[in-house]
Amino acid sequence: MIQKSDDVIVRTVARSLMPFILIYGLYVVMHGHYSPGGGFQGGVILAAGFVLLTVTQGIERTRQHMSQKTACVISSVGLLIYAGIGALCLILGGRYLDYGRLSQLLQVDQPTARSLGILGVEIGVALGVMAVMCIIFFSIFAADETE
Amino acid sequence: MIVKELISAVFLSAGFFFFFTATLGLLRLPDFYSRLHATGKGDTLAVLFSMVGLAVYEGLSITSIKILLIAVFMFLAQPTATHAISRAAFRCHIQPFTR
Amino acid sequence: MNTFFLLIGIGMCVLVLGCLFRVTYGPTILNRAAGISAVGTKTLVILMIIGVLHGRIEMFVDISMVYALLNFVGCIVLAKYLERAGDI
Repeated sequence: MIQKSDDVIVRTVARSLMPFILIYGLYVVMHGHYSPGGGFQGGVILAAGFVLLTVTQGIERTRQHMSQKTACVISSVGLLIYAGIGALCLILGGRYLDYGRLSQLLQVDQPTARSLGILGVEIGVALGVMAVMCIIFFSIFAADETE
Repeated sequence: MIVKELISAVFLSAGFFFFFTATLGLLRLPDFYSRLHATGKGDTLAVLFSMVGLAVYEGLSITSIKILLIAVFMFLAQPTATHAISRAAFRCHIQPFTR
Repeated sequence: MNTFFLLIGIGMCVLVLGCLFRVTYGPTILNRAAGISAVGTKTLVILMIIGVLHGRIEMFVDISMVYALLNFVGCIVLAKYLERAGDI
């Protein structure tokens, strides 16, 4: 059972820095094509933000924001986005994850369609990685006693 | 421009000086709490000076604003980490150095 | 100017070796934790200097920010664990 940290300074600073850590994780996901980053790295940074919240505020407070059920749903949604984009390219007549075929659906030219396809896949990967790391952290370090 | 490079060199040298004294304190001071003083304060100030020096070297662009944001983050986060470590040491009953 | 950055970078690497002395020979775990926090702080300045030497500092700024973040989170988690487990 991870208890709340009984120190005012650590609690307040961690709670103030949490939104900026999450926004920075999203920035790393979105700029994966230009600077070091991408799906996996951004997902890990988002999960690190939730780990910081758990260690300082206690497990009960974090469960209001990210419960077991929410994390499972988010990981499934991430995987669905990844496989869904691949299947969409199959349906439109190409191979699996052949992003060029998305150009006739989105009404843009071919390089833009490929870029948007990669961005969509990275978002799915980031959601999945964040949710799975939260599940791993909660199940190892905060054993469920009540349910 | 020679002025920009000179200012950046001065800030970086000041940062290196504070890093050097902080490491010297970490190695040579006799007690855990005094070592924590040295590394907690000296490292934070040194990172601030180094980041300002590098931001001046880059000029006014989006990259220098990002470098200054790193400096602000280190200014908030490093003293908190030092405080967490020293509180853990206090809870473990580590005695301060008295002679 | 590149020579000046190179000298500062080499000097910081020597300081990291000095901090690693405290990490290996520190009598207790908390000494090692303080040493690792110092090594992390110096590493992020070394990363920026390498970025300036390559001429592409935009890439290395993002990496330094991530490292500062992970250093902070790791230090707090380690301190919270050592409060309960005791200092060996």
